[in-house]
Amino acid sequence: MANAKKLTKEQKKALDILARRLNGRLRTHLNSCVRCGLCGDSCHYYLRYGDERFIPGNKVDQIARLYRRYHTIMGRLLPRWVGARDLNEDTIQEMIDVIFGGCSMCGRCSVHCSIGVDVPFLVRTARTMLVELGLVPKGLQSTVDAALTTGNNMGIPREELVDTLQWLDEDLKMEVEDNQASIPLDVRGKHILYTLNPREPKFFPMSISAMGKIYYVAKESWTISTHCYDVTNYAYYSGDDETARELTQRLFDEVKKLQAEVLVLAECGHGSRAIRWEGPHWINKPYPYPVVTVIELIADYIRTGRIKLDPSKNTKPVTLHDPCNLVRAGGVIEEQRFVLKKAVTDFIEMTPNRVNNYCCGGGGGQLSMGEFRDRRVETGQIKADQIRKTGAKIVATPCHNCIDQLIELNQVYKLNVEIKTLAEIVADALVLDKKK
Amino acid sequence: MSIPAWFLMVCFGIFLAVSTFILGQVVRAAKTYDFAAPKGKLLTGVLYSLTGAMSPFKKESAYLHLPAYTMGVLYHLGIFFSFFWLLLHFFKVATPPPVKYGSASALLVATLCGIIILIKRILNPQLRYFSCPDDYFSNILVTGFLALNAVSILYSPMIPVFFVYSGILFLYIPLGKLRHAIYFVTTRIYLGLFYGRRGVWPLRR
Repeated sequence: MANAKKLTKEQKKALDILARRLNGRLRTHLNSCVRCGLCGDSCHYYLRYGDERFIPGNKVDQIARLYRRYHTIMGRLLPRWVGARDLNEDTIQEMIDVIFGGCSMCGRCSVHCSIGVDVPFLVRTARTMLVELGLVPKGLQSTVDAALTTGNNMGIPREELVDTLQWLDEDLKMEVEDNQASIPLDVRGKHILYTLNPREPKFFPMSISAMGKIYYVAKESWTISTHCYDVTNYAYYSGDDETARELTQRLFDEVKKLQAEVLVLAECGHGSRAIRWEGPHWINKPYPYPVVTVIELIADYIRTGRIKLDPSKNTKPVTLHDPCNLVRAGGVIEEQRFVLKKAVTDFIEMTPNRVNNYCCGGGGGQLSMGEFRDRRVETGQIKADQIRKTGAKIVATPCHNCIDQLIELNQVYKLNVEIKTLAEIVADALVLDKKK
Repeated sequence: MSIPAWFLMVCFGIFLAVSTFILGQVVRAAKTYDFAAPKGKLLTGVLYSLTGAMSPFKKESAYLHLPAYTMGVLYHLGIFFSFFWLLLHFFKVATPPPVKYGSASALLVATLCGIIILIKRILNPQLRYFSCPDDYFSNILVTGFLALNAVSILYSPMIPVFFVYSGILFLYIPLGKLRHAIYFVTTRIYLGLFYGRRGVWPLRR
């Protein structure tokens, strides 16, 4: 290994991560960028600041230059010639700033890259190296630690969760005027195990109520686990594969324990991605049960007539923010549109939308990294402008991460809109057949 | 066969061997452990990645940067055309003067595009920020390949020089950024597999 003598033990371990991961996919993407710089205009960081550090090609180069230095002939012999760099304090500091603080891993640049470089994949690999160096930004690391030690990323005690859910259960019974309505907790043998984003019981309990109401009308057999319910996996963002695996395994075991037939993922972009798409890779086996997002489930309820909606109950103009991990990296693209068109009278698309939509700025773990708070809010200006142009009064988004960021953008940029989950909008439009 | 032709043959042989080794590395390590149940079709994702997703109407790197995109396309078409002419030179295929003049003109247009792309990299501070000597050298090397070929088409005594130059180019491709030529298709395949499996590509509407 070039220059190995100057490396610390941690640096050697970080480079070892890179060496061990050099499979066909990583090797391909590390060798493909031609540094044309045309990706800059597809990145909300670069668009906001015009700073060359944030050109996705430069983000790729944060790890590609290490690859060249330690894994190519030219990088070993003539590092300056090919832009290869040693792993040292300077390069590490630059990596933290750009890889953690300058990228939300939204993947918009990859779709528009002239070559097709998978930038988020490389950024996450670089983050994995930084995990090995113990250099994950504090806020993000503490979120990961909370999930690992308490079972949810907000450190909510189980008693508090149970209290909240029982209160919501009572509330649901009153709303639908049916004592049979319920939010079933830890019940074995139900069809669906429904996950939650811990932000829901903590700050947005009404989104749980909304889902309870939808499940009630659909006559669904479902339950929530009070032991393992967290849909998020911030270790996906931090790059900590071992913790990501542990969190996935816990949920996997919980589905087994409760003998549920389907795992339904709450409205959470990165959680859906982490559990559905990355999880089987982390635990090294396929899920023996289907995993679907709640948006797909609601769309299915509407299509099959299990729930009926009256859009005239939602007459304010509504626009949709597409969460990057759900849309660009998850393929849930048309379902939320189908649902909204059935649930509201005035649906307005943002421009651009679907796979071309801009990140709100809250992805990539940015919401938990206080170190980069200003940058997160400033890059969100692009999203704020998009929202303002629609003239909508409500912004719907099936992601609690995005909701938090949009609420902040709403205040900072004075958008004067309401931010809602899809479940809340659907619940408002539900046609209830109330029992006496 | 002349010494320059032999030199070209040897260099091309080395290029083929190294490229095969590089692609072999990718294929050998291509086994993935993606156990997630697919939402879309992998094959259609890959096909779309290699076709529709490359459309200039689908990529901001193209439609937001039409002059740069157009020059890039012409430059690369010129490169493929130049390799075609290298074959014609090598096998001493006779061509009528109009074809020669037309081909040389096309190559000169591609050369001009290469020069403009180089100037852009030199003048644009943001591109300069993350460029390295290899970026400039690779551009000059390939642009020279186009220009020298145009001259060789019109003035055949230059063909041996062109052979030697082409041999050097073949040797350099796997060493610097030009190796994206070897990796380009696998990059598109991997991206197509990713988006295809997840049901993102092909875009549905």
